[in-house]
Amino acid sequence: MKRYILLAVALVSVAVYLFPLYWMYVTALKSGTEIFQYPPTFWPPHPQWNFRQVFLQHSMASYLWNSLVIAVGVTAITVVIGTGAAYSLARIRNRWTSVALFTVLMLQVLPSSLMVTPLFVAFNQMGLLATPRLAVTLAQAAKVLTLYIVICRSTFLQVPRELEEAALVDGNSRIGAFFRIIVPLARNGILVTSVLIFLQSFGEFVYSRSLISEKSLQTATVGLSEFVGPQINDWNGIMTYSAIYITPILIVFVLLQRRIVSGLTAGALK
Amino acid sequence: MTAFFRTFREGSGFDAVLILCAVAYLLVFSAFPLVYNVIMSFQSVDMFSITDFNRPWVGWQNYIDVINRPEAWLIVKNTAIFVLLSIVFQLGLGFGLALLFQQDFPAATFLRGLFLAGWIMPGLVVGTVWKWIFAGDFGVLNYVLNHLGIVTGKIFWLSDPAYSLYAVIIANIWLGIPFNMILLSVGLAAIPRDIYEAAELDGATAFQRFFSMTLPMMRATLGAVVSLGVILTLQQFDLIAGLTKGGPANSSNVAQYWSWQLSFETYEISAGSVIAVMMIAVVIVVATIYVRSTTNEQSA
Amino acid sequence: MNQIEIDDLNKHYGAYHALRDINLKIPAGSFVALIGPSGCGKSTLLRTIAGLEKFTGGTLRIAGEVMNTRPPRERDVAMVFQSYALYPHMDVERNMTYSLRLKRRPREEILERAKSAANTLGLTALLSRKPRELSGGQRQRVAMGRAIVRNPKVFLFDEPLSNLDAELRVRMRGEIRRLHERLGATSVYVTHDQIEAMTMADYVVVLRAGRIEQQGAPLDLYDRPANRFVAGFIGSPSMNFLPARVAEDGRTAILGEADGQRIDLGREVEPGREILVGMRPEHLQIRPASDATGLQATVELLESTGSMTFMEARLAGAPITVSQAGRMAAARGEPVRLQIDPENLRLFDPATEAAI
Repeated sequence: MKRYILLAVALVSVAVYLFPLYWMYVTALKSGTEIFQYPPTFWPPHPQWNFRQVFLQHSMASYLWNSLVIAVGVTAITVVIGTGAAYSLARIRNRWTSVALFTVLMLQVLPSSLMVTPLFVAFNQMGLLATPRLAVTLAQAAKVLTLYIVICRSTFLQVPRELEEAALVDGNSRIGAFFRIIVPLARNGILVTSVLIFLQSFGEFVYSRSLISEKSLQTATVGLSEFVGPQINDWNGIMTYSAIYITPILIVFVLLQRRIVSGLTAGALK
Repeated sequence: MTAFFRTFREGSGFDAVLILCAVAYLLVFSAFPLVYNVIMSFQSVDMFSITDFNRPWVGWQNYIDVINRPEAWLIVKNTAIFVLLSIVFQLGLGFGLALLFQQDFPAATFLRGLFLAGWIMPGLVVGTVWKWIFAGDFGVLNYVLNHLGIVTGKIFWLSDPAYSLYAVIIANIWLGIPFNMILLSVGLAAIPRDIYEAAELDGATAFQRFFSMTLPMMRATLGAVVSLGVILTLQQFDLIAGLTKGGPANSSNVAQYWSWQLSFETYEISAGSVIAVMMIAVVIVVATIYVRSTTNEQSA
Repeated sequence: MNQIEIDDLNKHYGAYHALRDINLKIPAGSFVALIGPSGCGKSTLLRTIAGLEKFTGGTLRIAGEVMNTRPPRERDVAMVFQSYALYPHMDVERNMTYSLRLKRRPREEILERAKSAANTLGLTALLSRKPRELSGGQRQRVAMGRAIVRNPKVFLFDEPLSNLDAELRVRMRGEIRRLHERLGATSVYVTHDQIEAMTMADYVVVLRAGRIEQQGAPLDLYDRPANRFVAGFIGSPSMNFLPARVAEDGRTAILGEADGQRIDLGREVEPGREILVGMRPEHLQIRPASDATGLQATVELLESTGSMTFMEARLAGAPITVSQAGRMAAARGEPVRLQIDPENLRLFDPATEAAI
């Protein structure tokens, strides 16, 4: 009996918590007049499928493409640079690696909105703002690289040291053992962390908003914030835009949810 | 040269190269901007001098100017309230949910997983959705509150300076709950079952068990979660950009958003840097406490 | 010939001196056990031979070649790890042949060698299994197979049997030994179990605190321990040590202070010298209390395993252990006489702990 009361309490809290998501989808399906009804309807009596129209009208293809380019670039840089560092920081314990790890942990906490001012000025002076998507990619990679290292390091800590030693005795060089034994064994952790980094970068806002001035190069978050604007009345259009944007993110998250959660918690508490 | 190549393939050179690549990247794109930020906070930097390398040095003048701005204390106060209330409610609700899902009932793990959907959503989208929920005339929140008899009449959450900060805080609590809940769940799961059984045999009630077992055992986790919560709350930008943009009249503005506004909306870059330097100092103090406490925990 | 020569080898971890002046010659084809309490440096020494640890001074030669800075893969050694260290993402066959594939040997040769190793170890039916689908004993065999397919200069074993249950451990002991006889490769075997060392090795090296305390044939160590540590470490139950003073005649010693029992040393020792008398439990013989000769002791505890009986007794104020096959005709709290052949006494200096 007690178990079912608990289940009921849990169901209610999930429903309350997920209401904003539900409201986004419901509003997206309502018509322009329906959304301004008061009291509001909690289920659209005449669902409207205006996804295609919003997608085309607000050049979402271009926005999403730019977000994708940046997210892919960030993920690539992070994986290439971060994987080896995470591995070495997991393997070796001495004064230097402690200093390096401390540096990584400290740089992890710098808020993007505060770092963007010096980055903007410096990139401007270096001429990097001529290629603004590259500028955003480089800045965002520095932001997520620390998180990637911290989470991947905890994955590498779980690979027994003897396996690498066995590989060395069997005839591998350090590089060979890394690519043929260590990386295949940490593959899941690396993959999940990369997905996480990818999703975060796909929703990046501060750097894109501040470093990209040309509309055709801007990302989906910036597109959404332009859409919202100061005088808003197209709420179902905005919610449709949001739904198109985040549904793929939610799908990926639901598919990998358990692994992402275990990766994140390991990274934060170890 | 071959010796160098050899140590890279076979020995400690391999690790050194791997670590140095990442550290170098972080130095260029994280640590250098950090230092550059401090330098700019002592210079006069605006739209016209932005590309100059030789900018006038003004010492502490920028700091004095920022502190003497009329809105400065309002924003400091807002930031403190924003952090404090966000942490208190995220932690409280997160802990409650963690305890709930710790119990044994059908589909507990699955339902807990659903909470995490809010976690991965871009902050800007969350802000936009909440903006619609908070809308004064047609917002669903006002309808629900009226319907339940909690308030009468419509609250203009986003345009009334008395409410705007709290609207932002409510949305931020929503964003922070999953993170708090999942970390606290991990902490709870790490407490061995048998000490509860021992306490039960000793005659402790559920209430006493919570205060004499759970809370003390969770001290380290709670410390980590609070400091991470402070760090994440001070990073929160997208949500504010999506909801109120700090308005009306700075009533919901917080330091990290103000810094950006000064740099990118009014191009008072020196002033933006000053606030960034001060906020980063706060964040680094909190982070040091956090890193110290977790590494101590590990070695103990 | 695949001998191993270690000269003046030293290793420091920061301020910690892990290996001190190790000098060791391991002849080709011999089976050498490194033994000592945990933290004595035996595993470090083995890993140094493998190339997994660097050292700070000295020379290491394998088959006459200096190996000091060579990476493990250039040393042609195979190692069996305590945790087996099987690659979880490869099946048994790929685990065993990984080294051959790294060396790009022809496919037929790889297949041939895998088959023959699997045959030797009884793994033929398991070749396509993953390590997680194997029992502890099977994993241990795969780890052995991975070493033998390589036909290396040297086999290194790092406590390979310590994760097995007692019965399997005894069986594998014999199997490893027979394998060694057949392959004839130089083998170095680290263990903390002195019975494993005594039964398997041709040559035993006892380490303590990074230093070699004694090396020699197993029975030499048992018969002629160089110091109190080795005497106590080799043999089970441990040797009893009683403080004593050599009497005026130089041929007997007075045990303890109060009771003044005398024991025949069977040889000349400087009169008046303080000594430690070592007596192995299995060398003490129990006689009735009514006997006129022998040391007087009081029984405190009797433990019998059926085949063996162990007696805890008090002799000249000190606790001692006596072991004997079969049963004992003694009872708790009663006096007994203990006899020992002077030949079996081992004498040590109390200060330096060296054998006299």
